Amino acid sequence: MMPIWTKSGKKHAVTLLKVQDCHVLRYISKEESGGKTSKLLVGGKNASPFSKSESAMEIFKEAGVPRKQKVTTFNVTDDAIIKPGTPLYAAHFRPGQFVDVTAKTIGKGFQGVMKRWGFKGQPASHGQTKTHRRPGAISTNKAAKVYRGKKMPGKMGNIYRTSFGLKVWRINTKHDIIYVNGSVPGHTNCLVKVKDSKLATYKDCNKNPPFPTFFADGDEKLPEDLYDEEIFQFTDPSVTYA
Amino acid sequence: RINSDGKPAKFQPPPKPVIIDKQKQREERRFLSPEFIPPRGRTDPLKFYIERKDMIQRRKVFNIPEFYVGSVLAVTIADPYANDKVNRFVGICIQRGGKGLGATFVLRNVIEDQGVEICYELYNPRIQAIEVLKLEKRLDDHLMYLRDALPEYSTFDMNMKPVSRLDHEEIPVNKLQVRMKPKPWSKRWERPKYNIKGIKFELPETKMKAAQKWSQPWLEFDMLREYDTSKIEEKIWKEVSEELKK
Repeated sequence: MMPIWTKSGKKHAVTLLKVQDCHVLRYISKEESGGKTSKLLVGGKNASPFSKSESAMEIFKEAGVPRKQKVTTFNVTDDAIIKPGTPLYAAHFRPGQFVDVTAKTIGKGFQGVMKRWGFKGQPASHGQTKTHRRPGAISTNKAAKVYRGKKMPGKMGNIYRTSFGLKVWRINTKHDIIYVNGSVPGHTNCLVKVKDSKLATYKDCNKNPPFPTFFADGDEKLPEDLYDEEIFQFTDPSVTYA
Repeated sequence: RINSDGKPAKFQPPPKPVIIDKQKQREERRFLSPEFIPPRGRTDPLKFYIERKDMIQRRKVFNIPEFYVGSVLAVTIADPYANDKVNRFVGICIQRGGKGLGATFVLRNVIEDQGVEICYELYNPRIQAIEVLKLEKRLDDHLMYLRDALPEYSTFDMNMKPVSRLDHEEIPVNKLQVRMKPKPWSKRWERPKYNIKGIKFELPETKMKAAQKWSQPWLEFDMLREYDTSKIEEKIWKEVSEELKK
């Protein structure tokens, strides 16, 4: 995470996400998948092909791509279908867009009720016998049972969570890095899924995005760094309030 | 000229002048700002490389001088709520924290009997100028104990003139031993965990011996805590100095 300053002098914290060898693996049509839209399987970071069975490696062989560590599905409309095997780059996103980021949260292991659910526990002194971090009562007398979904101790973390509506501040096309506002679930160097935001306020925010994606062998030559309009670039002189 | 022998004197060339090359002496001293050295961790080195590029960009446009904890600085920042839209503060640097673009330094001064500490970010674009009024080092890495020291050690005149020094001189180490206010202090500075050398402890011997009870003499031999930065520093210094010369 890094600080970023706007032209008005405000500081924002920014997370760097690297797009590491992303390829489209397979196209699944609407009828095949049974959903409302067709799907595209996309694979992330390259990994060793020797620890998976032959049947699992079939998808990668068909697409002509080395084995990927993570495979996710994206629901796409019919006009955004991409041929399997095309690489995806960070330039697919542009500064000023809003993005949802999904990842597995940091695993905390088996945790008690105070850390996991934020219960208040009991006082440290004044006669409490062996009860300082316990949940206390778990149900009422009349219910005569414990409801399903009762908050109790258990394994915490290591589940998929999403941060919604994160602004993209800057894109580095040379190293394929996306600068995303705020924090993102997961530990450093974990695999992350970045989608266009589903929030209603940002529905009309994407002005002319590269559609269906940014093709590296196309005619467009992008500069190494793409900045949002409000970012203070370090090549400018210091900010003054006239 | 005729010698004592009567023969004409052999031509003696004048003695060669001894040239002290001051430029070479200057280059021998390398200073790499501590925020360039990446912390020990599992982050991708690419992230530090990209951050360093941004830091060098900023340094090309705006000069961040060399300074240490214990030097007196004057910082002017753009302030939308001030009369002149700029705000100037003079103080002694008591701490330099953070790595990369978020590097900060804390300046302390006593203004009208009120101690004031302001934490500035080195790479904040609102900073208009950083001047080093007095460049010197102290015996410790941080001077947080000035909060519990007598106020005379933290007062600096707001209109102080910069102290002139020659370029090739070594940075002077001020071995000042500071006198403290009576206890209680904000932290127990006599304890060995803080390893403060710059305080003149006027505590009784019994108290000083009792403080040594909290010493952890095994810490300096702990190999997992070692972080040798010499090679990393050299590489980064080369990279940074080459970029800044361009």
